Amino acid sequence: MDLTKNAHSHHISQQFNSELEQLKNHLLEMGGLVERQVGDAINSLINADSDLAVSVRANDKKINQMELDIDEECTRIIARRQPAASDLRLVITASKAVMDLERIGDESAKIARQAIKLCEEGESPRGYVEIRHIGERVQRMTQAALTAFARLDVDAALAVAQEDKSVDQEYESAMREMITFMMEDPRSIKRVMNVIWSLRALERIGDHARNIAEGVIYLVKGKDVRHLSIDEMQREVERS
Amino acid sequence: MSTSTNQTKGHSLDMANLGRDNKHLDINAEIPAFSVNDLRLSYGEKEALHGIDMIIPKKRVTAFIGPSGCGKSTLLRCFNRMNDLVDGCHISGEILLDEQNIYDKNVDVAELRRRVGMVFQKPNPFPKSIYENVAYGLRIQGIKKKRQIDEAVEWALRSAALWNEVKDRLHESALGMSGGQQQRLVIARTIAVKPEVLLLDEPASALDPISTLKIEELIHELKNEFTIAIVTHNMQQAARVSDYTAFMYMGDMVEFGDTDKLFTNPEKKQTEDYITGRYG
Repeated sequence: MDLTKNAHSHHISQQFNSELEQLKNHLLEMGGLVERQVGDAINSLINADSDLAVSVRANDKKINQMELDIDEECTRIIARRQPAASDLRLVITASKAVMDLERIGDESAKIARQAIKLCEEGESPRGYVEIRHIGERVQRMTQAALTAFARLDVDAALAVAQEDKSVDQEYESAMREMITFMMEDPRSIKRVMNVIWSLRALERIGDHARNIAEGVIYLVKGKDVRHLSIDEMQREVERS
Repeated sequence: MSTSTNQTKGHSLDMANLGRDNKHLDINAEIPAFSVNDLRLSYGEKEALHGIDMIIPKKRVTAFIGPSGCGKSTLLRCFNRMNDLVDGCHISGEILLDEQNIYDKNVDVAELRRRVGMVFQKPNPFPKSIYENVAYGLRIQGIKKKRQIDEAVEWALRSAALWNEVKDRLHESALGMSGGQQQRLVIARTIAVKPEVLLLDEPASALDPISTLKIEELIHELKNEFTIAIVTHNMQQAARVSDYTAFMYMGDMVEFGDTDKLFTNPEKKQTEDYITGRYG
């Protein structure tokens, strides 16, 4: 049975309705902050803005705290309400998504750290084009995964998974390019390595966005589509 | 890569099946204890069951859930013809037990009820000793040898997880036991005559949480030997004890299937609304 948009209201217990509603809101609120962190981290790196990078690292603490709070909320709902069916799937999905969001936050903080290092070393290295490009894509993916969660939109979630595959390909080719740079000019290795760490962090952000999207499919369809290829995922979703 | 990791040499683990559970149940692969075909039941003019089709799988626990008046207790009582005793009750369709329709004219109802035992919501021990309660069914069957009865009583009380609590006071009145003990005694009395099926109608709803858990544990133990069908208002209980769950609503079987599936991803909206506590 598919879920409709206000699937988690209409409980006999109003209190339960509002607990689930709050859980969703808190998750989306955290998502919003994480999404901003990704953008800020990329900008701090590209614009060599160390103030922005420092603020990204400071905000990461807030995200960690939000993870703890939402996790506690999930535990409390399970203990007190013994949710079943779609309610249970919502709580499980939220508690997993929160982990992915926190990781996205960590990856953003890593990028900010690279930005600070690169600022200290002065000269802007090559590889920014790739960072900007992949960065914009994974930022959009994070946003899309959260929107899919808010709207219970399976198609949008599938699109995120698809996007992740093409980001992975782009990451591979960016890596090859970085290796070429290093071979051409071994003096640049240290700086290019910093760029590689950032690219790696961005690629991981894409993976986490995909995880969140897969969670949305589980939430709506009740089907676990992790570790499937895009085609298999599509088939699983269509098979009702 | 996937094939090479599956065949890691010298590994004692079965890599191909690692981490996979075989716990998914398939109702179509079960051996039926009962097969219910288009069962209709009416009290006078009013039809209470509108054509039920299902099986009760052998040596499994099947739970019936649904709001009050949905017909779940009525259906349960059909399995040992308890509804025969209700005036104006009319039944059509069939319930097969070993290929035989239990509503056939030539069926011995007393024998049917020996094969299909029932336990009710309120414990109903006889005003006799603990021993005599359990021995009662055996004596009715004409068993006279004391040793044989002694053995059967001990077996039944052990199976009902009651032996250790009562072995020193077998000849005291059963009415002096706690509610939870009385209910387990009634279960012991029912299984003493070695039925094939146990019907439990809200067996724990009058009991405290600890006694309830003991009954649930008992159900888990007993399913190795008996087929069990249980009616319960407590959804968590159905989720905890059963292999299969049937959700009924207004005399219809709305959804019947694997308990895990029904409680995580039900097919029907009515089921979803009921188990998640929504108004449908």
